[in-house]
Amino acid sequence: MAFVLRRLGFYLIAFWASLTINFLLPRLMPGDPISRMFAQVQGQMTSEELLQLKRLFGLGDVPVWQQYLDYLGSVFSGNLGISISRFPTPVTDVIASQIGWTLLLSATALIIAALLGNLLGILAAWRRGGLVDTVFPPLLVFVGSFPYFWLAMAALYLFGVTLGWFPLRHAYDAGLVPSFSWDFIANVATHLVLPALTIVLVSIGGWLIGMRNTMIATNAEDYITMATAKGLRPGRIMYRYAARNAMLPSVTAFGMSLGFVVGGALLTEVVFAYPGVGYQLLTAVQALDYPLMQGIFLTISATVLLANFFVDIVYVRLDPRVRVH
Amino acid sequence: MHITPRRGRTATVIAAGVAAVVALSGCTASGGGGGASEGALLTVPREDTASFTPNFNPFTPDASPFTEQAIFEGMFIYNPADGQTTPWLAESWEATADGTGVTFHLRDDVQWSDGEPFTAEDVVYTFELQQEVLGGYAYVTEVSAPDDTTVEFTFDAPNSPAVFDVGQESIVPKHEWETFDDPATETNPEPVGTGPYTELANFGAQSFDLLPNPNYWQPDKQKIPGIRVLAFAGNDGANLAAANGEVDWAPQFIPNIQKAFVDKDPEHRHYWFPGTGSMIQWTLNTTKAPFDDVAVRKALSMAVDREQVTEIGMMGYAHPADCTGLSDNLDGWKDEAVLEACDWTTLDVDAANALLDEAGYARGSDGIRTKKDGSPFAFKISVGASSSDWLSVAQIIAENMKAIGVAATVDSPDWGQVVEGYEQGTFDTGIAWSGNGPTPWSYYRTAMSSTTLKPVGEQAFDNYHRFADPRADELLAQLAAAGDEAAQQAAANELQTLYSELAPVVPLFPGPEWGAFTDTRFTGWPTEDDPYATLSVRSPTTVLVLTTLEPVAK
Repeated sequence: MAFVLRRLGFYLIAFWASLTINFLLPRLMPGDPISRMFAQVQGQMTSEELLQLKRLFGLGDVPVWQQYLDYLGSVFSGNLGISISRFPTPVTDVIASQIGWTLLLSATALIIAALLGNLLGILAAWRRGGLVDTVFPPLLVFVGSFPYFWLAMAALYLFGVTLGWFPLRHAYDAGLVPSFSWDFIANVATHLVLPALTIVLVSIGGWLIGMRNTMIATNAEDYITMATAKGLRPGRIMYRYAARNAMLPSVTAFGMSLGFVVGGALLTEVVFAYPGVGYQLLTAVQALDYPLMQGIFLTISATVLLANFFVDIVYVRLDPRVRVH
Repeated sequence: MHITPRRGRTATVIAAGVAAVVALSGCTASGGGGGASEGALLTVPREDTASFTPNFNPFTPDASPFTEQAIFEGMFIYNPADGQTTPWLAESWEATADGTGVTFHLRDDVQWSDGEPFTAEDVVYTFELQQEVLGGYAYVTEVSAPDDTTVEFTFDAPNSPAVFDVGQESIVPKHEWETFDDPATETNPEPVGTGPYTELANFGAQSFDLLPNPNYWQPDKQKIPGIRVLAFAGNDGANLAAANGEVDWAPQFIPNIQKAFVDKDPEHRHYWFPGTGSMIQWTLNTTKAPFDDVAVRKALSMAVDREQVTEIGMMGYAHPADCTGLSDNLDGWKDEAVLEACDWTTLDVDAANALLDEAGYARGSDGIRTKKDGSPFAFKISVGASSSDWLSVAQIIAENMKAIGVAATVDSPDWGQVVEGYEQGTFDTGIAWSGNGPTPWSYYRTAMSSTTLKPVGEQAFDNYHRFADPRADELLAQLAAAGDEAAQQAAANELQTLYSELAPVVPLFPGPEWGAFTDTRFTGWPTEDDPYATLSVRSPTTVLVLTTLEPVAK
């Protein structure tokens, strides 16, 4: 318990630090939101209107320390202010309308990649020099080293445009109304295949190699030899003895990746026009939309910290060595 | 501003072993890509919004697509493509004799989409709201409604160009908007308007539909069953949809449009890029020497190969500017005398060199000229990194400068940084837009009027080159005060002569208004031969297209 509390304290400090950086970084960028907007509309607005907007957005007339305190307070009250680039939609509404799709896409891809990658890694290490070991690691590392944007475009053209097997864009067909019907879920699933597939292809190699390498090291341990000598079934040794211990670094990696599911699918969302939060972050940065940037960064840093905290707790369960200090 | 990321070329076959992974869900969904089954609605992509949130408030800078094009309407519509003005919610209007006001006579048969009658009260209320929420219209001292179909505007000074601003303001219903707590931050999710397509349906993050207004005042013009807007994160996705024929209208920038879009179905696909946008110009910071010297500005302008700029930099989508600096929408205002005497916007390297020699910028031993203070004649050309076409324009200009012994380097950080340099007056030179309007007044006001002049270090939203001339102020006031067209034209001609004499900026080309369409499902699009509107989906003329299109008879 003391361990958990200590970790919790550490995470709170990390959270405060990331909040402060979220606040400062956007404001260190050149220009201001109004100028950006003006550059966007290229002289379609009058300067009087722009100055009025500046007042409306609450920019410039509030000292920075006051903005900082308001922002810290707003984090805990859940009111993140009004987005500038999507004025007058509240930041929470903008994020809420998109984050579900991002989570669905990234989490699906992450879980598939982690499960498949680890499984292949276990098999590759267990039968070294076997079929799995000779084919998959080089192949998947090769695929994973493509520029992601190119791979996504290629998949879109090949399976979407040329073969027409999958839809080209969006999370579901235009005109459908979201519901929990079988038809709608099936529609979402077909739209998910290509974007998720490309993420899986790019990331699976890392899981495989990582798992394979720790597994090889574990296989050389004395207790594996012991278990073999005792005549246990190979499958039991592979999963219960070797993989269980070799899994630990993968759990850490999984926790870290879990944190990045919110911001990790930016390019995918751009290529497949998936209505997620990643592209929104890009536009928010381009428009210098402070409240929205803060909101999205806050969401990302909170998920990273939560995921790590969760991994810490799980680790205590998995690895007795952590408990010793 | 068009972001044009690189397009990946079509793939070679991806490694095998992929198929093994595609065990995502065992079901095959009905109705995959859509497209063919959606022949009913006019499908339009929106290339700069990855997901929609409902916001149909016309007083906000970034309202949902078609808010001011299909839901709310103005009193008249000015079309930059042919210079014509179409009466809309107003049947007619006339300026007062001394030019300090205008009276609009409204139609009496217009209803809001909720069935309430549209009256002059709504117009008065809209302008009160606009001044309160967004500002602007500072010159409007009074708006009054003597009866239900008459609205009278009073200005603080004679101001003939103002009629175009007030006439095109989107009018909102008073009876609905007075119930809102805070109109400035109202998202108006269930809009009530006078436009042809006001009924919102299927609103989702990635698409929404607008269906016909049941109480529209021109029911015979609602020939299309509705509008469907699709969200796209960037041009590439929208261009793909256009190339696949899944959208009817493609208002975004499409690189290499002939090959990427038209050639796939030349019979039905067309594009038209009229130069009705604002003048795109090479802005020289006149607060820095030697750009304060008119001889230098003209010499630099003469050294620019505008043919190359428009053919290569702009892919042939634009054409060179002339000495009036006016865009194509103001063709009718151009003074023949100025055009005939025009010499500083055509390529003439020898004349440019002679001008610089004469002005005392001698070449050094390395072939680079020196400024008056003895430093080398070198400067930066700023342009935002995301605008690939303008970037190549800047590179061509930098290359052109070598011929006259001037060292120009292209500086392309993020647009935000570029614009900050423009606004604070810290930049050397840059590629920028300008003001544009139905009369030359808007452009010349941002080009050389002291009303738009800000000192270096004070934020300027226009007149980045920071140039003013008292004669221009006088002529602009004359143009604004002129009651009849002849007097306006006379003032405009003198402005053009003055501009050509002073060369406050270096005009490059009129900004093209992007637009392309496929007429397989709908016909009646505006074209170069029938320019009743532009192909923009963000302009007041858009409603003219919406009320002209009709479905192809099946």
